[in-house]
Amino acid sequence: MRVWMVELRLLLRARPTVVAVLLLTLLSAAAVTGGMAEVSRQRAAIARIASAQAEDVGAIAKWVNEKKDPGSAAYYTFHATWDAPSPLAFAALGMRDVAPFIQRVRALGLEAQIYDGDNFNPELALPGRFDWSFVLVFLMPLFVIVLFHDLSSGEREAGRARTLAAVPGGIAPVLRRRTALRLGAILLAAVLPFAVGAALSGAQPLPVSAAIGLAAAYALFWVGAAALVSRLRWSSTANAATLAAAWLVLVLVLVVPTFANVAIARAVPVAQGAEIALAQREQVNRAWDIPREETMRRFYAGHPRLADSAPLPTGFHYKWYFAFHQVGDEGVAGRVAAYRAGLERRGAAADALGLVLPSVGVQAALTRLARTDLEAQLAFQDRVRAYHRRLRDFYYGYLFYDRPFGTADFARAPRFGGIADD
Amino acid sequence: MSATRLIARDELRLMARNRVAVVAVLLILVLTLVAVLTAWSHQRDLAELRQRQQAAATAAFEAQPDRHPHRVVHYGQFLFRPLGALAAFDPGVDAFTGSSMFAEGHRQNTANFGDVRQGSSLTRFGQLTPAFVLQSVAPLLLIFLGFGAVVRETERGTLRSLLVGGAARGEVVRGKALALGLVAALVGLPAMAGLALIAGQAGVQALPVAAIALGYALYLALWVALVVLVSVLARRSRDALLVLLLAWAVTVVLVPRAAPEMAGRAIPLANRLETDVGVARDLRRVGDSHNPADPTFAAFKARTLARYGVARVEDLPVNYKGLLAVEGERITSRLFDRYAAAGFAAQERQNAAVAAAGLLSPAVAIRQLSMAAAGTNFAGHRRFLDQAEAYRFALVQKLNRLEADAVSYADDTAEDPGADRRKRVDAHHWTEMPRFAFAGPDGAELARGAVPGLSLLAGWLAAAVAALWFATRRLGVR
Repeated sequence: MRVWMVELRLLLRARPTVVAVLLLTLLSAAAVTGGMAEVSRQRAAIARIASAQAEDVGAIAKWVNEKKDPGSAAYYTFHATWDAPSPLAFAALGMRDVAPFIQRVRALGLEAQIYDGDNFNPELALPGRFDWSFVLVFLMPLFVIVLFHDLSSGEREAGRARTLAAVPGGIAPVLRRRTALRLGAILLAAVLPFAVGAALSGAQPLPVSAAIGLAAAYALFWVGAAALVSRLRWSSTANAATLAAAWLVLVLVLVVPTFANVAIARAVPVAQGAEIALAQREQVNRAWDIPREETMRRFYAGHPRLADSAPLPTGFHYKWYFAFHQVGDEGVAGRVAAYRAGLERRGAAADALGLVLPSVGVQAALTRLARTDLEAQLAFQDRVRAYHRRLRDFYYGYLFYDRPFGTADFARAPRFGGIADD
Repeated sequence: MSATRLIARDELRLMARNRVAVVAVLLILVLTLVAVLTAWSHQRDLAELRQRQQAAATAAFEAQPDRHPHRVVHYGQFLFRPLGALAAFDPGVDAFTGSSMFAEGHRQNTANFGDVRQGSSLTRFGQLTPAFVLQSVAPLLLIFLGFGAVVRETERGTLRSLLVGGAARGEVVRGKALALGLVAALVGLPAMAGLALIAGQAGVQALPVAAIALGYALYLALWVALVVLVSVLARRSRDALLVLLLAWAVTVVLVPRAAPEMAGRAIPLANRLETDVGVARDLRRVGDSHNPADPTFAAFKARTLARYGVARVEDLPVNYKGLLAVEGERITSRLFDRYAAAGFAAQERQNAAVAAAGLLSPAVAIRQLSMAAAGTNFAGHRRFLDQAEAYRFALVQKLNRLEADAVSYADDTAEDPGADRRKRVDAHHWTEMPRFAFAGPDGAELARGAVPGLSLLAGWLAAAVAALWFATRRLGVR
């Protein structure tokens, strides 16, 4: 125990080390605070939905109530969906800044709505977020390099290595203790703010410990890299340069991950989303140029439950309008599935790279734990799709049987959230 | 031969003998070449794809059958943002903004299908482009090659013998800086050659290219000065390396991420739901087209009837529904413009706040400069959004006028079985509609966008050279 205390005192007396550990704590705390501020901003935006929607829908209900036309209600009413941040979202904001977490849809064709984005400043998103995962993946390795590059070479250069080698047990236990202490200090600095943030956010213990385990494994990887380099018995300067170069290659550039990004984008071209939009528009607008009965036949073939609806009148009827929107969506279902599969293949390729490349792996795992990755974005889209189905069913019940749609019916519309949309 | 050149030659010879240094330089040369080639082919693929998609969308629009003009208002037009040639050098925000926009009546849509939402999380690690290599990687190479330049001599005591041998302090430092400057020029060469090739294409203007080249020359010169400065000031090689690595991590990695974070928090941006609800609210205030007794539209009706000197809309020589559509679109578009302008203003304030961080980090300054001159920054995207909105408004209004002139009010309001046929106008009208042609910015405008970044970098360089001059005078005094 006493030797540990001695080592700890030595560590605390080395000013650069203390400064480095404090700096890392500060950066980690700043990232956690920033992440939590961003998440609370997003939660506040979600909390504001209800009143904004009440105002908007209320105004529509007022004039629709005069004629009680369900078509107008379905056409003009937007319904809100949202993707609430998970308790761990503060640690890895992932795609939540560039993909919408609030989206309004109406019962019209979904494929013309679901790819809409929210307002965001692209120049702010471009450099990437300053969140805890950034501190962990990008910055922590630099601190490992600063604290470990001279672990044994420093003793050699100071001329103490021979003396240490002469004490009973040799230099190895001393270095082991120092490694453990420095690693512990770095980990504590990086993880403590995260743990506090997770506790404040009410995160579950399991994902929190998984994230901490990831952080520890990632730190160990870099300590191992430092140990490997130090076995070459170069000077401290050469060690630092080599490790920094390794950091650059592994974390930032060269082979990976920018290179991999280019490769994946080439290997898996996503059947461009714009083509879905173009094809769906063609399908939808064609309905005006073909006999209306043809559209209804195609619609009823997919929705036999509504087939007992009365025939179309001579004039305009909204049920035809909504039918051709749905037929338009169904007409591009194949393209939609292919687009989706392409996105998933891209995500899978990046995940596979993460198995080989620690930086990418940790980043991917953290965004998965925080549910802020591409998969989470697609899952949100699935929930929007499920909700949209319920919306259509709800309005069709009025539209196809010409039931009047009054103020009270607006309140009966399905609400987003809950198990029904999962 | 002057002492400066002798010292520079010696330093270069020493670097050439250092195998790690040679490998590092070769690697970065290869990396730059790969970056130039991949970024260029990516830019060409994207530009071609968008051109093809725009052509397909335009062809589909013009191939529409006889239709009621209002159907065409809703059929709309897809607009694709063309990608300028300089995006091959610095794609800027291109991947973060949608590349296509749907222009239709009564709605202002977002630009969709940005690469960032279609790619894996890897996109957020950065993009392999010549700009990225020069901004982030090249300084690191200069640090590795140059951190020991002066401090090595101080540490080993060889500096003293150099000075005793008759070399002035200034000559030693200038010689070292010259050697590192030559390395910087070599490292920058392939990217600049790539830039020259990209600039050789049709439609690329000289001024922004010159601004980019000057910007990166200043940036790399600044890093040369900083590296030599730290090498002059440090007592030990290791300290020099660690201080420079820290400076690199803070200015190249940390500040460019932290500054936008703070700007985003200080200046909030209304989200789409709030904007849409706000537009709807204001619209109800201006006039409710669903309400027959609405004062705004009642007044419009009275005005129109008075202008034509008739008592009923049925007696108008033009289709009142078309006139109403024109008026409605005018009102909604004015609101859209107001909300869009507020959003743009907020984003510009955010970007200005980030640009101010160029005082803390030259990397921020070079990023802003590079994107601005390449036309791939927010202003470049906004140029597209503005032109897309102007096009949308012109197209919709032209179609609304067509409804007013070519469809009679009687037909437009009829519901008998033959009415549908009578409401339609001939298909040749669709080919007479304007086509979307994005007008790229002129070179002077792009170069003007680079001026703040250039001034910042020049200021940085002047400060670094001044500091180097002071430090040199005290070199070896300790």
